[in-house]
Amino acid sequence: MSAEATESTTVRSLDDLEVIVDTDFHLTERQEDIFPYLEDPFYSLLNSQSEGDDYGYLGRVYPAHGMLYSVTVGKADSPTVRTPEDVQKGKDLIEWDKAIATPTQNLYLGAVHHDDLAAALAKAYNRWLLDNIIDTDEGVYGAAVVAPQKPVKAAEEVDDLADESGIAAVMIPSGSVDPTLGNEVYYPLYEACERAGLPIMMHNAAGTMMTRFPSQWQSLNRALPVHATSHNMMHQVNLADMLTQGVPVRFPDLDFVIQESGLGWYPYFMRRFDHDYMGAKFDAPMLEKKPSEYLRDQFYVTSQPVEGADDPEYLNQVVRLFGGEDSLMFSSDYPHFDFDYTDALMKIMRSEFSGDEIKNIYGETAEQLYQF
Amino acid sequence: MATNTEPQNADAENLHHVTSADDIEDGERVVVDIEGREIAVFHSNGEYHALSNYCTHQGGPACEGLLSGTIDVDEDDELIWTCDKEIVACPWHGWEFDITSGEHLASDKYRLPSYDVHVIDGDLYVEF
Repeated sequence: MSAEATESTTVRSLDDLEVIVDTDFHLTERQEDIFPYLEDPFYSLLNSQSEGDDYGYLGRVYPAHGMLYSVTVGKADSPTVRTPEDVQKGKDLIEWDKAIATPTQNLYLGAVHHDDLAAALAKAYNRWLLDNIIDTDEGVYGAAVVAPQKPVKAAEEVDDLADESGIAAVMIPSGSVDPTLGNEVYYPLYEACERAGLPIMMHNAAGTMMTRFPSQWQSLNRALPVHATSHNMMHQVNLADMLTQGVPVRFPDLDFVIQESGLGWYPYFMRRFDHDYMGAKFDAPMLEKKPSEYLRDQFYVTSQPVEGADDPEYLNQVVRLFGGEDSLMFSSDYPHFDFDYTDALMKIMRSEFSGDEIKNIYGETAEQLYQF
Repeated sequence: MATNTEPQNADAENLHHVTSADDIEDGERVVVDIEGREIAVFHSNGEYHALSNYCTHQGGPACEGLLSGTIDVDEDDELIWTCDKEIVACPWHGWEFDITSGEHLASDKYRLPSYDVHVIDGDLYVEF
């Protein structure tokens, strides 16, 4: 190898990356996949259904939003991901070396009406995940889901899974949390995650707007405006509450990951919150430094859906404005209808970011955060 | 592009054989590889149309998705179903393209390349 070649860290294509980590690779689990993993009383209650009519919806314990998406009308073909073979197809398309499997239906776990059932479903999903999907030899890791309705049970579940090498993170389905994530009811869960060394993924779903923002959801009455606003809106609400209540001060060794909400709102939010904090220190007395510094130190962001990919000046500046070279992590969102193909981000960023910075975003930062 | 049934309008060396016209039922399509280009030839509403199968968005197989219509509004702003069997949706992200022009319905930045289709003695040819 020539001297120039060893000094150069230029990344021109995916082939120049040593490792690609997909930090949001979705499964499309169905409730019938995980019902067999329920413990009693719910196993007995829910695995003995009669031949009767459930009216087409009463058999579902996860609420449905009924919105018309491209998938609903057949214009996008979202592949099923419920088996190792399905996972392999996604791995072949996205070309990751490691991925963290995240749920789809269980993004609505926080909206399940029966709170004890929600906690039981989280346990059942995690056992199904470990039994059927996680395969560390193949780079397939998973996020354990917890039910925000039952934070103490969620903490126990984290304790139970702390030694599972295939569990890389804990996911809070954060679109339907009540109260929001700054509240002290979640502190046992945060303690458990900090103790286990597991980062917390915060992942909303567009349709969960119907629970936290019901009047907005009802008023918008189309999928497009709900999807475009809900993910980032709910993240801003949770982050604002967490910062105000001092969550990152109380749990200094705990890291959080903001999933699937686009990028531009994040540097805006950092500065907006700092701006208000300057005149309202009395509202957030726990904080010992500017709110944005906690975000830079303990919060990470996944890349998909990358907005403005046809506008390099915009995208490169936005990523710089929140220090994305150290906190942004590639995610595909496969197999959802708005997934990002692997080079969507890279083909813009290589005009601005160094090879080492691009390697951080495509895998190195995730390797350090998740300790696979 | 609309079907051209007058072969004298085409330069023979620019014509590339696709298949027999009878092989594509109305409402169906074929995807062929011609000199390294993946091209979809549609038979829809009595016409043939040819488009690149490489999505200008993120590279998905744009012409292999659902061939249907779309929703528009009429002069009274009432919702209507329109362009039946003339809108193909890329299966990766659902982006809709008009098969008669290659145009992306939501913008003018992402048109799929289109090709003239010729029917000569019962066979289909694309021109480029």
